Amino acid sequence: MAGLEGWRGQWARSGATRALLHARASAHVGRTWYNCRRMCPRLRLHSSAREVSLWSAPEAGLGGGTSCLPGSISSPARGGGSSLLCGCRVEGSRARVPPWGSLVARGSGKRHAEVGFPEEHGATGSRAPEAAVQFRSLRKARVTVAPVFKMDFPSSLPPSLFMTGPLGQSDVPDLSFMCSWRDALTLPASSPQGSQDSAPHVAKALLWEPDMPGPLPLLPPGPDPWDPGLTAKDLLFRGGYQFRRHPRAVLDVTEQISRFLWNHGDIAFAPLGRLLLENFKLEGAHSRSKTKTVVSVKRLHQDLGGHQPWGCPWAYLSQRQRRFSILGAPILSTSVASLLGELLHEELALRWERLLLDDACTGGALAWVPGRTPGAGQLVYPVGGAMDTLCFQKVSLTPESEPQVLSDPGRIQLRGPVRQVVTRSVQGEALLAVRSDHHCGLWKVSTQGQPAPLQVLQVDKGATGISLSPHLPGELVICSRSGVVCLWSAEDGLRQIYKDPETLVFRDPSSWRWADFTAHPRVLTVGDRTGVKMVDTQGPPGCGLLLFRGGAEASCQKGERVLLTQHLGDLGPESLHPMLHLICTQFSLYLVDERLPLVPLLKWNHGLRSAPLLARLLPPPRPGLPQPLLLASQGGELQLLHLAGVGASTPRLVGLPQSLPTRSDSLSAFPLLEPKSHRRLQERLKAPTVGLAAAIPPPASTPVLSLFQLSAAGDVFHQRLHLRADPGPNARAPAASWTPQATACCSRWLEALLEVPLTPSVWAAPTFSHRRLLGGFEPQKVEGPVPEGFRRAMAQGRLLQRRDLGLLPTEERPPAPEPGPEDELSERLEAAWEFGAAAWWERQRGSRAGPGKQPKRHKRRTQLSSTFSSLSGRVDLSDAASPAPSPDHTLPEARPQPPRTPPSQELTQEPWAQGVPSERQQTLRDYMAELPLRTDTPGGASALSSQTPSVRATPSRQHAPQDCTVQQLPRGDTPEGTTLLSSQTPSVRATPSRPHTPRDGIVQQLPRGDTPEGATPPSSQTPSFLATRSGSQRLRKKPRMGF
Amino acid sequence: MSDFSEELIRPTTEDEQGEPCVRSGSGMCFPWLQKHIESIASGGKQEKDFAQTTSACLNFIQEALLKHQWQRAAEYMHSYLQVLEDTDSNKRQGAPEIVWRLGSEILYYHPKSSVETFNTFADRMKNIGITNYLKISLQHALYLLHHGLLEDANRILTQAETWRYGEKSSSQEVLVNLIQAYKGLLQYYSWYKKKMELSKLDKDDYAYNTASQNMLNHSWKTSINLCTLIQIPGVWDPFVKSYIEMLEFYGDQDGAREVLNNYAYDEKFPSNPNAHVYLYNFLKREKAPREKLISVLKILYQIVPSHKLMLEFHRLLRKSDKEEHHKLGLEVLFGILDFAGCTKNITAWKYLAKYLKQTLMGSHLAWVQEEWNSRKSWWPSFHFSYFWAKSNWKDDKTLACEKALVAGLLLGKGCKYFRYISKQDHQALKKKMKQMKKSVKKYSIVNSGL
Repeated sequence: MAGLEGWRGQWARSGATRALLHARASAHVGRTWYNCRRMCPRLRLHSSAREVSLWSAPEAGLGGGTSCLPGSISSPARGGGSSLLCGCRVEGSRARVPPWGSLVARGSGKRHAEVGFPEEHGATGSRAPEAAVQFRSLRKARVTVAPVFKMDFPSSLPPSLFMTGPLGQSDVPDLSFMCSWRDALTLPASSPQGSQDSAPHVAKALLWEPDMPGPLPLLPPGPDPWDPGLTAKDLLFRGGYQFRRHPRAVLDVTEQISRFLWNHGDIAFAPLGRLLLENFKLEGAHSRSKTKTVVSVKRLHQDLGGHQPWGCPWAYLSQRQRRFSILGAPILSTSVASLLGELLHEELALRWERLLLDDACTGGALAWVPGRTPGAGQLVYPVGGAMDTLCFQKVSLTPESEPQVLSDPGRIQLRGPVRQVVTRSVQGEALLAVRSDHHCGLWKVSTQGQPAPLQVLQVDKGATGISLSPHLPGELVICSRSGVVCLWSAEDGLRQIYKDPETLVFRDPSSWRWADFTAHPRVLTVGDRTGVKMVDTQGPPGCGLLLFRGGAEASCQKGERVLLTQHLGDLGPESLHPMLHLICTQFSLYLVDERLPLVPLLKWNHGLRSAPLLARLLPPPRPGLPQPLLLASQGGELQLLHLAGVGASTPRLVGLPQSLPTRSDSLSAFPLLEPKSHRRLQERLKAPTVGLAAAIPPPASTPVLSLFQLSAAGDVFHQRLHLRADPGPNARAPAASWTPQATACCSRWLEALLEVPLTPSVWAAPTFSHRRLLGGFEPQKVEGPVPEGFRRAMAQGRLLQRRDLGLLPTEERPPAPEPGPEDELSERLEAAWEFGAAAWWERQRGSRAGPGKQPKRHKRRTQLSSTFSSLSGRVDLSDAASPAPSPDHTLPEARPQPPRTPPSQELTQEPWAQGVPSERQQTLRDYMAELPLRTDTPGGASALSSQTPSVRATPSRQHAPQDCTVQQLPRGDTPEGTTLLSSQTPSVRATPSRPHTPRDGIVQQLPRGDTPEGATPPSSQTPSFLATRSGSQRLRKKPRMGF
Repeated sequence: MSDFSEELIRPTTEDEQGEPCVRSGSGMCFPWLQKHIESIASGGKQEKDFAQTTSACLNFIQEALLKHQWQRAAEYMHSYLQVLEDTDSNKRQGAPEIVWRLGSEILYYHPKSSVETFNTFADRMKNIGITNYLKISLQHALYLLHHGLLEDANRILTQAETWRYGEKSSSQEVLVNLIQAYKGLLQYYSWYKKKMELSKLDKDDYAYNTASQNMLNHSWKTSINLCTLIQIPGVWDPFVKSYIEMLEFYGDQDGAREVLNNYAYDEKFPSNPNAHVYLYNFLKREKAPREKLISVLKILYQIVPSHKLMLEFHRLLRKSDKEEHHKLGLEVLFGILDFAGCTKNITAWKYLAKYLKQTLMGSHLAWVQEEWNSRKSWWPSFHFSYFWAKSNWKDDKTLACEKALVAGLLLGKGCKYFRYISKQDHQALKKKMKQMKKSVKKYSIVNSGL
């Protein structure tokens, strides 16, 4: 019953009211709501797996979070080299070298030839350290300037006032009021010799210049449609408050619920009806006969369910229904509205909060894994509509040209959306950690770039952060929403380090937690929205020292919260700032030294217009230069800060931070488009940034920085920057402009993007019968390519292009007016184009008196047709951007025009309308079909867990986490290997309190792309999992398609 | 007067005016909430054209600044100044600070700006509104200092120091103290120069007397300026340092000690490692007894075990007669090497190798074991991995040898690190290697456990 447990936990956390409501509402309401979540079009419930499992778990018996397990590895994931993991006891893995599956060949046979994949690799594993040593020595050569004692504490800190107190204390003079250049100032005391004037001037002029006005797409867009999701417009009340000084955000529950009741009346009311399934008596006059006062709900159901005419639901209201609705309205409306309303409100509030701040992707899901040579490496990022395929793309960087994408990427199919990808090279070994909503995985990346799985951990309550240790290979820390922080290492297994369901400094409702490492391998930072604490993993539990406090100590504003914390010493032991921590709030950026807690050494007001959730510190591009620190916000803004101050001097910013071009700045590189596609492109470019990675290619004459961004739509964009160190006082940057290659690249990308189908739109009541109107043209059948193309364009709701008419596209030249129908406006424009406007006017004046009626009629005709074409554009339901009109206005229009022809015939002809009603009906049927099956699955799941032996007794057993059930899954390299896991390899269950919880957390690594059936015969322990997998996938994916 | 009363209301209305900051239900502030609301709000109070243009202008300035387009930013700034005449009193009050912040930023970076321009701008801005006078004065002085104009800076600070408005608020007081302290620092600076001159002069010179008289005057003024700020909790390293230097020069050792003790041990102050370092250095200069030095460094050790003074601390402890100090000496060495940044600190490794051997020879196995127990789970992979053996040997053979000895002593001769190093063939280190192998064989804690 773990699913239920976890589910309840979530439930309970979201507040007493919810739990109460649930208790009261019983299963029926649960179903209603479940339906509502799946179906309600306006809500567009993109399923994150968490939600689906949250809602479906108790009924479908899926168990909490089955839906996101790391799956198979399709990329050539060769095992071996476990000996590289010094001290990690992961025996047995090397022996199992996976067979080369069919997908492996697809992955990159070429690559093997190219790298010359050595057979001896598996035997010794000694190549890796060598290569790494080379790389390290290269890096070391670059930072030779750094003094030996990097741990020096600054001998004199900048003056700052220390006040204790809550946030936004009004009477504290904020000494950070000083501008950015304050840090550049040197006081005479610190350098009495007086060389104040020379240094800062050089520093002033540091600037990274982009090569192009904006980032360019690195890879073609993915084949899955992307939907920008909810906007404030969908959620907020649009009416204005006349007397408010500032408008406020008010959730518009009323509209949402009315829309829901209109569109999904059957779903809203049917469960209630089922509850009253027996006949019931409606109060009527005594004189009436029984047949008129007693309504059979069964009949009503039949009316509602089976033959609901979806073309226009109000067309065939039966007498029975009408009577029922009139009489039952008072009861029905209140119960439905009150139950649904409350839940809906909660849901809307949740959505709204997520719109304001989506912390799932904190840390970023794009990582750069350096390869054997400094110029080569791999980008690791999720792709796919659900962001559940981990992609390993080899990229080669050269200082002179754009990065080269090498061969097909390797892919690993996971079973949950990837939220965070962390990579780190420790002692010459590259490790990769991935966080999904409920699972975390760890891979080792060999020097050839092949990932080999090491570990999978399950986090029931939802993982919020994962970090890899910069000190010890393979050590990682995970934090969960329940406030538990766990450290995993190969030696000790899983250990709970810290647990506190409350926030650190003051009470804050957010369950976001974060953890990172510090300069001491046994000390971690644990953060939440209110502060950051340093916790000694070896000390007694619960104690620690606050590193950062949201309060007067850092002169925080009212309402300021921590959004991101990061250890800046993560560049390995060569890091220049091994003791520094970066802390970002929605207003400012702080740098805090571990040795001087609570007092920020630097504060900078970043002024970003969305949440800064991504930060990357890079090594200095050249010895002696400051380190670039990249900061990216969710909205796509990028800032680059120059961080200087090594050893005995305090960290400071060199020059003013600079902003880098965003993806939206690249819009000008794309060819001109018709408005609809333009809007689509714009939306795509504006998609939130969910990943950031940067690399410095091998040293060149001018340092170059390669910057990669991942957007929520799955696009990887790239930009190159070069350093202009000393431009001189008057030199102005020559404005970067697009090269022909860049524009060509953009148009190729755009072409591919436009081929991606739009998200299948949700069902909406047709507002009028456009088909009939279109049909009006049918009789006059004129054969030939022109009318045919014309009709096709109209049906698809796009602009008529020359190629539709079968005309050859003419050479590129400014659009000259084409001789159109004789209407005044186009004539006049034509004349104006040829500089003959005056003459035209004269002519017009002369001819005005003459023929009057004929041209006018023409005009009316063209006007009409233009309305028409615009209209067909509007009718296109797939256009997500145009808000569906309010029902109050549109429905009366709709009523008198039921579709004359049966929809099915029409559907085959019109691609845009295809599948819309049937899609919905299908979903509904799925749902109905599943209903009775809901309760009977958990049995299989528990059977499985009882067979999973808990073998390994870790020394830290007493610290085993109780709350966050993190289950460790053994390492396995091969799909086959994993199926054996429960019998052969140990599995540590860290839940003493619940020894027999059905763990769906078993790693099922299925070969990618295969159906579950196609997998190698799974072990007998996991039947239920496989049985539910397809179901869970459907549940998860469906909503993504547009609900 | 009406202006002034508006100014006074300001702190209370601050919440109301905050358009960039609207709070959500959770108490969190979202600067970007306004953008969302604006995208849908149709009603409400419409912003006036003026407000729209000024906020657009502000955005342009910020954008230009972040793109380092100083010229463009200056052009927009020119237009933005009209915001100072906003009819909305809330905005008008907030404006000077924004104008100052952006303006000073532009003038600092603009290639054509000069000190004169900056002076004019700062003088103007100081007198628009009253709340910013002190802040602007301070920054102005810092700017001048930065350009080496000490006299001008001093003049600005003197002016600001005497400035008062209305009832003294605590924030005002802190700022005044800070201004005084900076003034004190300037005075210290000139004092320092005089001291340098004086050291060049002959004591019997006629000029010597007048110069020393001058210095005396200075110190008296400075001490007043500096000591008030130092009482307030905060990080005042440069001030404390200069103050102590002057006190010491005039022989006021007790005063200096008191100041340092207060700075280091006052509970209200943040735990600043430098406070302890200053105290330690002072005591060292004073030739304080070893016990005293040890007690100061002990506290520093608790705050920053990785501080470079810890090696000195170890030496002190080693020399001490007490057994517990000897034990602490071992702990300190282990403590330093725990930190990632110290892994290649050859001195620390040398000390540890030597001291470990010494301790084991002195049959204090329990001490070593106590330290080792908490580290044996991670030191092998942190320090003594195969990777490090190779890379240390390649980079620094002496370091590798020292580490190998420690590894051998702690992990026995079977450990990877020791094995790798001892297998290496190196002529110059042959003798050392032999010695190392011998000591490992004899003293390794793994052997003795058998």
